[in-house]
Amino acid sequence: MKQLLVFVLFASLFCWLMFSPVYKHVLLIRQALIQQEVTYLLEMGASGRYGYIDQEMVTESRERLSAYGFDPNRLSYEIASTSGAVADDRFAPLPRGVGLRLTIRYPYDNLLDIDRLIGLAPPANDARLSASGMKMSEFVP
Amino acid sequence: MAKLTFGMLMAVIWWSLHALQLDEERAMHAVHEAKSAVDRAAHAAAQQVDRDLLELGILTLDPERAETTAYAYLQANLRLDDHFSPLPDSLFREQVRVERLEVIGSEQVFPFTYRNETYDYEVNLSRPGVVLIVHLAFPRLFGVLSPIEWDLKGAAEMVFP
Repeated sequence: MKQLLVFVLFASLFCWLMFSPVYKHVLLIRQALIQQEVTYLLEMGASGRYGYIDQEMVTESRERLSAYGFDPNRLSYEIASTSGAVADDRFAPLPRGVGLRLTIRYPYDNLLDIDRLIGLAPPANDARLSASGMKMSEFVP
Repeated sequence: MAKLTFGMLMAVIWWSLHALQLDEERAMHAVHEAKSAVDRAAHAAAQQVDRDLLELGILTLDPERAETTAYAYLQANLRLDDHFSPLPDSLFREQVRVERLEVIGSEQVFPFTYRNETYDYEVNLSRPGVVLIVHLAFPRLFGVLSPIEWDLKGAAEMVFP
């Protein structure tokens, strides 16, 4: 009887101890994957051949990420340049010296909801996982 | 009672393992992000051609512009302020130190080997370039992981077709 009482009292803590590492791990891996995608897109986009990140490259990137289980429609891409010029137009590549900035965002997907078991509030609904970077374009016309 | 104590003890051990793994994964993530920030800063600095000398047909770097650009890119990528202190959304908590920023211009003979005994770094450059070494401390969430500090090194060459 006493053991049952102890189990009931600590049930939520046990649940949290058992399952929350898995959720945290998924979150970290997702963060690492979008960071890797940012690095790859910047490496390609800022190279001498391109000088931009256009919709076609974004679509391919969505496909790559969806292979890892991301929902392609909920990934958001923000492409900007340090000069204020449009950075996603293949007909107007950024010239050498201008920085190409990319941010990818993805919702948390209730992955931190399990922390409610130990009384921690999950992030707000509009909070997003994000990865970003800035690289100088090498494109020479 | 013995079972309860055992249960609590297991919970503590389990939790500290969990904390250790979480922090280690975050550290791997942090070092990757910081390394690409260093690489991007070095790359941007290595694009700063000295235009006055280029008119004379000498292809070399402008050290002042290279320095400003390297710092600007490092700050933008690691989300730091002008004094290299982290902004609220940065992954890091402590001030970042730029240990070395070497601009290797056309005064050297290429291929040039840059050597730094202090930081145990060696790189071959076939064109003018930039070497950047940055010191970072990883912000641990839990005390389970021993403190981690990195000297991240990056080098880039001037890019031209």
